[in-house]
Amino acid sequence: MDQKSFHANEISKSFGALQVLDNVTLNVNPGEIVGLLGPNGAGKSTFINILAGYEKQDGGTVVVEGKPLDGLKPNARARAGIARTFQSGRLFGNLTVAENVALGAIGLGESGKVAHERSESILEILGIEKLSPHAAGSISHGNARLVGLARAVAAHPKYLIMDEPAAGLNEDEAPRLLQALEVIRKNIGCGMLLVEHNVKLVTQACSRVVVLATGILIFDGNPRDALNNADVKTAYLGNAGVH
Amino acid sequence: MKHGGVTKFSIQNLLGPIIVLILLTHFVGGASTSLQLVTQMALCLFVMVLALQVFVGNSGVLSFGHGAFALIGSYVSAILTAPVNIKDNALSMNQLWEPLVSPQVNIYVALVISAAVSGLIAAITGIFLMRLNGLAAGIATFALLGVAYNVFFNNKKIGPGSQALPGVPLIDNNWILLLLAVLSLILVYFINISRIGRTLRATREDAMAAPALGISIFKVRLIAFIISGAVAGLSGGMYSHVAGTFQVQDYYLEFTFITLSMLIVGGSASIWGALVGTFLITAVGQVLLMMEQDLPVFGIQVQIPLGSRAVIIALTFVAVLLWRSGGITNGKEFRIPKLKKIS
Ligand SMILES: Nc1ncnc2c1ncn2[C@@H]1O[C@H](COP(=O)(O)OP(=O)(O)OP(=O)(O)O)[C@@H](O)[C@H]1O
Ligand SMILES: [Mg+2]
Repeated sequence: MDQKSFHANEISKSFGALQVLDNVTLNVNPGEIVGLLGPNGAGKSTFINILAGYEKQDGGTVVVEGKPLDGLKPNARARAGIARTFQSGRLFGNLTVAENVALGAIGLGESGKVAHERSESILEILGIEKLSPHAAGSISHGNARLVGLARAVAAHPKYLIMDEPAAGLNEDEAPRLLQALEVIRKNIGCGMLLVEHNVKLVTQACSRVVVLATGILIFDGNPRDALNNADVKTAYLGNAGVH
Repeated sequence: MKHGGVTKFSIQNLLGPIIVLILLTHFVGGASTSLQLVTQMALCLFVMVLALQVFVGNSGVLSFGHGAFALIGSYVSAILTAPVNIKDNALSMNQLWEPLVSPQVNIYVALVISAAVSGLIAAITGIFLMRLNGLAAGIATFALLGVAYNVFFNNKKIGPGSQALPGVPLIDNNWILLLLAVLSLILVYFINISRIGRTLRATREDAMAAPALGISIFKVRLIAFIISGAVAGLSGGMYSHVAGTFQVQDYYLEFTFITLSMLIVGGSASIWGALVGTFLITAVGQVLLMMEQDLPVFGIQVQIPLGSRAVIIALTFVAVLLWRSGGITNGKEFRIPKLKKIS
């Protein structure tokens, strides 16, 4: 394990009798984009919630750059350099797009001026600067996903966790997301954990992929190998969520 | 529906409501003796609604407890300025606690102390209240009002109990009251556009997403609650120097209902909303009061049954909640138009 990496070690979690995560260990290195695949209900969002402090694990530890995060609240983890997006978007609907993104920096204590500049430049890099003055609740679903990403990136995080950013995107929008990820990798350089159903997107965006099935990590390796792995195929068999 | 709130400093946004306030004070406040008193009271209420705006408007957490801060502010200012002989006479039968009889300070020093004491009480209570959410928060703030009211209503050692403390020196000057209102407005404006205001609105919009951006909901709510409590304290203090008395009953259920109506009807997301709500409900209330008393309104005499006033204001309140949840102003600030240069 790299001293600078984001590391989840042997994470377990049950909801009542239902074991959702079973000894899941995952490492994301600086600047690396890791894909996390898994069918519906595999425990992906639960895992993210544990990493970001929204849910408490039953066992295991989460460490960033050698510093344990266990017991820290979500806002403290954000300050430690962990940014996240939500499966359901969760933009500040009545605030403008520019303000949504600026808040990503303001929340971490940047001045209003810096936040404003960052918001402008990130929206421009993502090619959605025209949306700035619009209320975030009024823009299209595809654009909202990008704004959610922009807001998380505005914090200049060390690690960015994304919960199905491509969910609900159409054929035209998905490539824009792929582009955005590339731009973020180049400009911010943060390590990324990309949770996705969209296998195509994951294989294109990620250098490494892990597969979660009913709480157990069944694969960790090269994206191309994942597609040919027997266990992975079985886990996905008959699952309508795979494209 | 837009409850966005302003984020960048704009002199036009700041001057807009100030100019309207000056015009109202000059034309309405100067029209007659009775309108002067109504205007003075409206200025006090406006400061109270500003206090509600900065906390409730930005956080989205409804507070039924701010009457407690107005009550404390009013009490502090009254007890510090009422003449010693009045405190001695009027309260001797009430066994007022000895050390409270002699203190005498200047009205304006008293107002500053009012705001400070109310802010302090807001800080102490806020440490507990600001950990609550939703319904629990509403009920707990209501409990705060209940506790404050009952402590003062029943305890004659600290104040007049159920009676009034008369002889509180008057600020019988529209312009001084206006100045206090404008200072409060400027303070609230800068809080609204500050980091506190902006992050607080983020927590209002989505309490789950805000912490992911490093925002501590507890911390920003607490800071706003303290500032809001201090401004409410100032409002209560001002009111005691307009009414010339301090009376616990003035800051209880009706006060809480009316001031929250002003905020919601005007539009809780902006200072302009606070201003429109305060003066509109004051005006409507005044007209209805005259009708209840069978007095002519602009030469026309319409009598309505006693109690209609409260019913009509309540219905307006409900109508706004149903059909225009952003209030009359719907989150907009009033801007004075830019002066065009003639070339
Ligand atoms: N708070 C909770 N209480 C009880 N059960 C839960 C809770 N949260 C999640 N679960 C259950 O845990 C399992 C994993 O859920 P999770 O949301 O982590 O899956 P996921 O991999 O993100 O699925 P999807 O692809 O549909 O988003 C599911 O069976 C879900 O019903
Ligand atoms: Mg999920």
